[in-house]
Amino acid sequence: MPAFKAPAPGFAVRFSPFHENRLLAATSQHFGLVGNGHLIVLDLAAAGPGAAPAPVFSFPTSDALFDCAWSESHESLCAAASGDGSVRLFDAALPPAQNPVRLLREHAREVHGLDWNPVRRDAFLSASWDDTLKLWSPDRPASVRTFRGHEYCVYAAAWSARHPDVFASASGDRTARVWDVRDPAPTLILPAHDHEVLSLDWDKYDPSILATASVDKSIRVWDVRAPRAPVAQLAGHGYAVKRVRFSPHRQGMLMSCSYDMTVCMWDYRAEDALLARYNHHTEFVAGIDMSVLVDGLLASTGWDEMVYIWPFGTDPRAM
Amino acid sequence: MAGSPPKPWERPGAEGASGPAPFKPPSGGSTSDVVEASGMAKPGENVTAAERSAAANASTTVSRPMPQRPWQQTGGYGNTYGGAGYGSNMYSSYGGFGNTYGSGGMYGNSMYSSYGGGYGGGMYGGGMYGGGMYGGMGGYGGYGMGGMGGYGGMGMGGPYGNQDPNSMGPPASPPGFWVSFLRVMHGVVNFFGRISFLVEQNTQASYFFMTAMLQLFDRSGMLYGELARFVLRLLGVKRKPKKGSLQGPEAPAIQGPSHQFPEAPKAGSWDNVWGN
Repeated sequence: MPAFKAPAPGFAVRFSPFHENRLLAATSQHFGLVGNGHLIVLDLAAAGPGAAPAPVFSFPTSDALFDCAWSESHESLCAAASGDGSVRLFDAALPPAQNPVRLLREHAREVHGLDWNPVRRDAFLSASWDDTLKLWSPDRPASVRTFRGHEYCVYAAAWSARHPDVFASASGDRTARVWDVRDPAPTLILPAHDHEVLSLDWDKYDPSILATASVDKSIRVWDVRAPRAPVAQLAGHGYAVKRVRFSPHRQGMLMSCSYDMTVCMWDYRAEDALLARYNHHTEFVAGIDMSVLVDGLLASTGWDEMVYIWPFGTDPRAM
Repeated sequence: MAGSPPKPWERPGAEGASGPAPFKPPSGGSTSDVVEASGMAKPGENVTAAERSAAANASTTVSRPMPQRPWQQTGGYGNTYGGAGYGSNMYSSYGGFGNTYGSGGMYGNSMYSSYGGGYGGGMYGGGMYGGGMYGGMGGYGGYGMGGMGGYGGMGMGGPYGNQDPNSMGPPASPPGFWVSFLRVMHGVVNFFGRISFLVEQNTQASYFFMTAMLQLFDRSGMLYGELARFVLRLLGVKRKPKKGSLQGPEAPAIQGPSHQFPEAPKAGSWDNVWGN
């Protein structure tokens, strides 16, 4: 399957929830430390089957991009989290001169995570290194609400796939927290790991199951009804686990990427949890996604400036 | 709202069998309306750095505290300097409060000892070490102590050796006019002292160099002569007789009657010249 050479190290990749061939990638020069970012929309079908995907939209930004998310309500709208603390909304259907369509500047420090509500589809969250999360609606000029409580950088946010008001956040204060947008404080504080928690995701099929990924090289699966001990612990990565994501199609299936330059597929309910290990990247893998529309279609990007798209069970490097 | 196509997990019957989630039932309406109805909406709230730290200090809900970051450590001021003993202390000594000195450790540095020695009464080398010597005096009284250092008693771990200015709490108040003036004068005098000392050292070094070179040539010539004499004697080479020895007993043989000079030498006759 195709691979795409990005102009800079990749930080995030997302499949479009509308078009099965569309892919969003956030890249940053110089590993996100300094320099510009690029938001890229790839079309897998534009250049013919098997060929390298072509960027149909590429927008440079003044600061590094750490994460991106497609809108669930508008097929060409997407959001990018920037290193200068702003969140930008882009419309890929508009020419670059009219982009970004919105510049949301409220966070005091780098925004590291974005997630669009997949249930109600009208709001999204940003997680920032200023220890807060903010709830945004694309029809509002300012944030709807700010969530405070974390004591260190918040690295990721994830909406529950089944409950429109519930989301979870992963933070460097070694906790994951579950929030309800109607409640002033988190409904659950989960001391999830011994090190910073970098990412988390909800099981799409079981509304109580949550997976967290941490610097301690492990992934833990939690049941929010019994937060004393994890349901499962997935060990196998050699370095910090950067992102974790549940499969939209198969219950219990997870995808993770790590600083050990591998992408792993897991089934936390199986005896032998590790399903597959891909070491196609030659640098840190920073972004992964699983297609909502095509069962088993995976994507990854990393600091080797490559974006790979491949079906589960095949070699990503095989064209 | 139109929204994206239905998700795979939203098909009927796709829910897992582990039972309902412990959350409040979802509210109707858009997310913004739900938040506003709950009274939690605070549009456009900006987060400042001050709020950040205040929030971090106030909340005590986490069961496990966050590890302290390296840059959050208090009392780190000056700790890294203690006992470091790097050569640049010499240059930062005047004008500072002695804060940069550690307790001992900069001994053995000839530059340093010479600097002190220039004022302490001409003692070079040993005895001048011990950072307390300078740190204890707060920097400007240094040369008075330099003299004491010359006796070698103030050095390692002496009464001043352990006096770390960093352990005295906050830095001293700014010095008065005379103190700062004297400090400046101390710096100026120090400067010229160092310069003159270095010039002297250089002169001395080049003098030693020249002397050593000359001595080397002299001695190597003698060595050569001695060796050559020895080797030649081993080879059995005798020294040529001097002029006076031409009148020796062999000399008449040359001019003897057996040799007739007018005759041309015959072939092979030269072979017999050295024959006997």
